[in-house]
Amino acid sequence: MKNPVVVLGLGNPLMADEGIGVHLIERLTKLAAQFPGVDFVDVGTASLSVLHQIEGRRKAIFVDCAFMDEEPGAIRRFTPEDVRSTKVLARQSLHETDLLRILCLAKQLDQAPGEVVIFGIQPERLTPGTDLSAALSDRIDAYLSQILRELRA
Amino acid sequence: MPKTVNVNVHHVTRIEGHGNIVVNAANGKVEKVQWQVPEAPRFFEAMVRGRSYQDIQTVVSRICGICSITHSLTATKAVENAMGIEVSEQTDKVRILMHYSEQLQSHVLHVGYLVAPDLFGFPSVVPLAAKAPDVVKAVIRLHRLANEWSDLLAGRTTHPVTLVPGGLTKVPTAQQLGELRDKLNGCLPDLKAVAEAVLSVAEIIPTFTRETEYVSLRQDNPPAYTFYHGDIASTDCEGTVPVNDWKTVANEYVSDQSTAKWTKWHRDSYAVGALARFNNNGHLLSAPAKYLARMFGLRKGCCNPFMNSIAQLAEAVHVVEVSKILIDELLTKGLKEEKVRVSPKAGKGSGCVEAPRGILFHEYEFDRRGTCVGADICIPTNQNHANIQKDFEKLVPEILSEGEDAVRLKLEMLVRAYDPCVSCSTHMLSVQFVR
Repeated sequence: MKNPVVVLGLGNPLMADEGIGVHLIERLTKLAAQFPGVDFVDVGTASLSVLHQIEGRRKAIFVDCAFMDEEPGAIRRFTPEDVRSTKVLARQSLHETDLLRILCLAKQLDQAPGEVVIFGIQPERLTPGTDLSAALSDRIDAYLSQILRELRA
Repeated sequence: MPKTVNVNVHHVTRIEGHGNIVVNAANGKVEKVQWQVPEAPRFFEAMVRGRSYQDIQTVVSRICGICSITHSLTATKAVENAMGIEVSEQTDKVRILMHYSEQLQSHVLHVGYLVAPDLFGFPSVVPLAAKAPDVVKAVIRLHRLANEWSDLLAGRTTHPVTLVPGGLTKVPTAQQLGELRDKLNGCLPDLKAVAEAVLSVAEIIPTFTRETEYVSLRQDNPPAYTFYHGDIASTDCEGTVPVNDWKTVANEYVSDQSTAKWTKWHRDSYAVGALARFNNNGHLLSAPAKYLARMFGLRKGCCNPFMNSIAQLAEAVHVVEVSKILIDELLTKGLKEEKVRVSPKAGKGSGCVEAPRGILFHEYEFDRRGTCVGADICIPTNQNHANIQKDFEKLVPEILSEGEDAVRLKLEMLVRAYDPCVSCSTHMLSVQFVR
């Protein structure tokens, strides 16, 4: 059975800061016992599966790497309505996706949760490698605190 | 009528790689036609060097978000091949069943989200969902079923966690498999609905054809429409090539117009994917899958790359059919927990599995402690690049008179038929705040 709230970590941990969502979900999963009504999901790069992970939930919280014109390492909390996507899709393959367009499709099909929150983290480095840049790794605890505050609210 | 056509589809985004389409024609004469792939090298092979043989499948599962199960399975098979590890019949069957979930998922997504909007005349699946919600909902139900299926056997929807060299860390219960079989029975109306919807607009599928070499796995003993076992076959030759000799098939080379490696075997290029599997093994499809192929006039020997999507639909039906049989076999024999006991040893070996987009090769070498000292990965997309270029070269002169927009659309549709994995490694958001 699905819990009413889901936290989803997106990204590719083989591409440095791109994987911040996955790194954070790994840490959050260790705290799962404190949050019996919450599921923690490592989505990785299977962005389209988000459609099914959020279906039937009251609230979905995303943690993802995001270009937001901020300093590397900055975190911002926003809703899909707060932003517009500046991502250009070539639409050449299923492999490129945009979370905001997936959320738009979910809404259109009446499968979106009542509340959607996104924590975007500005990357410094998006190159092959499994380590986060210092700008992000030094702030992991701060990111976790902010997400946990959202869960406890 | 003389035509001047300039198509320049460049998609240079900040980090994600995309293919570029370039066509220059003046006075009805084609001057330049190129499929350019300015993809950044990915260094995945370097990333697994120095890692334990037990971790390879976990790392490579992150290469692709659509075919992560295939990458994990291929790596696991390569590790087992390198170390001479045998797996039980139960492990083999559960892995194949797991792999089928990814075929279904990828094929319905490809047809439903990427190809159907073209056929129905919409720019993407979002407006299509508004106009034809029933079809899109059927696609989404099939996608959901495939996700649940992967969850059950791979431990999660994507990036599997149950695969280890020598076996599986978890096997499903008889009850879970029985429930899965019921769901598979229940999904046939949705598959039928999607096929009928595509059939209703099938006249939009371009009739282009170009004689092509098709390469895929082939299993002769016992004969089966294979995605997992067998040797490497081609429509250009009778015999097969053992998986360990895959480099004599791929013959990778560097093209000036791409940073991804290209491949060729008996000709200047070859194609891999659902149509390649169909052309090598189509006579072995299950009866309902053959029926579907006939509905669309798809026959072995088809050299129309746009029909790849129809081969995918036939395969979607096929994997559902054969999975029900596989589940019955597992249930009849009874499922048991199996201990995985593996000791590392030095060796080199290859693994080969059919990803939804075509044949995938992994090769690894290990020292006596089981530490990876060498890796080589050849993905289906790279094997299709040269073939896309050759298709472009034949297609463009044939459609030049239709004008710039039609040329652009058809070339984009052709690329979508192959569904190249050129932008898979990164998926970050890019946003501007509006309030």
